[in-house]
Amino acid sequence: MVKPKIKINIKICLACGGCISICPQDALSMISSKAYLEDEKCINCGICIKTCPIGAIKEDKK
Amino acid sequence: MEYDAVVVGGGPAGSVTARFAAESGVKVIILERRTEIGVPVLCGEGISQRVDKWNMLEGTRWIASKMDGAKIFSPDGTMVSLSKEMAGNETGYVVYRDIFDQELARRAARSGADIMLNTEVTGLIKTNGKITGIKARRFDEQFEINANIIVGADGVESKIGKWAGINTVLKPYDLETCAQYTLTNIDYNSNYCEFYIGKKLAPGGYIWIFPKGENTFNVGIGVLASLSDSSLPLKLLNKFISNHNELKNGKSIRLLAGAVPVAKPVETVRDNLLLVGDAARHADSITGGGLTTSLQGGKIAGETIGKAVESHRFDKETLSIYETKWKAVFGTKLIRDYIVKEIMLDFDDKTLNMLADSLKDYKFEEFSTLSLVKALVLKHPTLLMRLKPLLKLTDKSLKKA
Ligand SMILES: Cc1cc2nc3c(=O)[nH]c(=O)nc-3n(C[C@H](O)[C@H](O)[C@H](O)COP(=O)(O)OP(=O)(O)OC[C@H]3O[C@@H](n4cnc5c(N)ncnc54)[C@H](O)[C@@H]3O)c2cc1C
Ligand code: SF4
Ligand code: SF4
Repeated sequence: MVKPKIKINIKICLACGGCISICPQDALSMISSKAYLEDEKCINCGICIKTCPIGAIKEDKK
Repeated sequence: MEYDAVVVGGGPAGSVTARFAAESGVKVIILERRTEIGVPVLCGEGISQRVDKWNMLEGTRWIASKMDGAKIFSPDGTMVSLSKEMAGNETGYVVYRDIFDQELARRAARSGADIMLNTEVTGLIKTNGKITGIKARRFDEQFEINANIIVGADGVESKIGKWAGINTVLKPYDLETCAQYTLTNIDYNSNYCEFYIGKKLAPGGYIWIFPKGENTFNVGIGVLASLSDSSLPLKLLNKFISNHNELKNGKSIRLLAGAVPVAKPVETVRDNLLLVGDAARHADSITGGGLTTSLQGGKIAGETIGKAVESHRFDKETLSIYETKWKAVFGTKLIRDYIVKEIMLDFDDKTLNMLADSLKDYKFEEFSTLSLVKALVLKHPTLLMRLKPLLKLTDKSLKKA
């Protein structure tokens, strides 16, 4: 399994749903009014990072 | 629990679908994840005054202000104006989307629809490959509802279509990623909605200022996701506001992030399943507006469900009446405006200035994107050649202009 390189900061997320609608892997959902990532589905394409209008998704540099 | 139809999502598309289904005698329930219908508001809140003719909303509590017209500003500040005087006094409203949505839900309830809030639909139930209901979660309880028809009215992030095997994933060039402030205490007297376009200002989208009355304005931005970057919409919006003489002194009473599909509509019908509103990608590709099509499409969907329940037939063929009808009502408009979006994306700021300049004294006969598009094609037939057949404009009518 590839280690996911994206991280959602739920303190920033305002639940617009943009990242969820655009993820080609259906790896994102809305849970308790925050975007939620299912690690194992993500292919690290980075589309969601560019899509978030307020910068809640970042590359996970750890 | 058993219902004839389950509507997933209590936005405008879901409530209107449920209302018209209930009015045709259908046992229907709306399942909504939120704890208050319409809240939080994720919308610019502009709607065409055509809504008056549809008997969807009662009273006037949902209206914040009536527009005097629209002003579109090109990158160099050239203004194109569509005013109410030209458009026979029919323009649009800025609404309170929370009250607007609750009004639509109230009508659904009055017609007999059930509503369950705080309820997240988590999957479809399939029996021998056939959709027979939904799984949901409410507080810490999981439960199932059996139904003959499931309606995906679950907005831009829609999962219902995906679960049924319809590809609803948006491409980055088919999504506007948005941010908006509601600013108050602004010393600016305008009842026009304003649109600002330009590659630097809002790549692949626009900035809007919609008057809500009482010195309050919705000021927002949409950027095409394929041209955007992490937090770019919010940064560009902040920049626009801080450079604006009046807006920069405003105080923010609401901030939202948003997403609007500016895509071609998807397949909207399967056996036992319908998609409506943003879930069906029914928003307009030029304006990003999706309220009118949610109302129009919801009505058609509700009536179709009524006929299906009456005849006990829930297959794709029976439900396809919905798709045939919405295509007849607004299908051409959606495709036409998608093509306009594609053409406009190729224009640089210089071309946009030139187009605005050629329309600055134009007398528009109607307050609509259609009249704007028509004017552009009449003035620049070769530039917008691909649109000619869609507008049913003949060479004769083009020469006359
Ligand atoms: C920033 C912005 C500005 C806009 N400005 C305008 C404008 O000025 N004019 C205009 O006409 N349109 C505008 N739009 C578009 C308009 O908001 C949408 O087209 C409209 O809301 C679509 O209605 P809907 O009922 O399809 O979806 P929504 O209103 O999004 O409703 C979907 C509902 O489904 C619920 N839901 C989702 N998933 C689940 C689930 N699994 N279980 C239970 N419930 C679920 C959600 O909570 C939500 O309440 C704007 C959009 C944005 C983002
Ligand atoms: S990086 Fe790509 S695959 Fe992973 S969640 Fe984001 S959009 Fe989906
Ligand atoms: S795009 Fe950003 S704000 Fe919108 S749901 Fe995803 S993480 Fe949240």
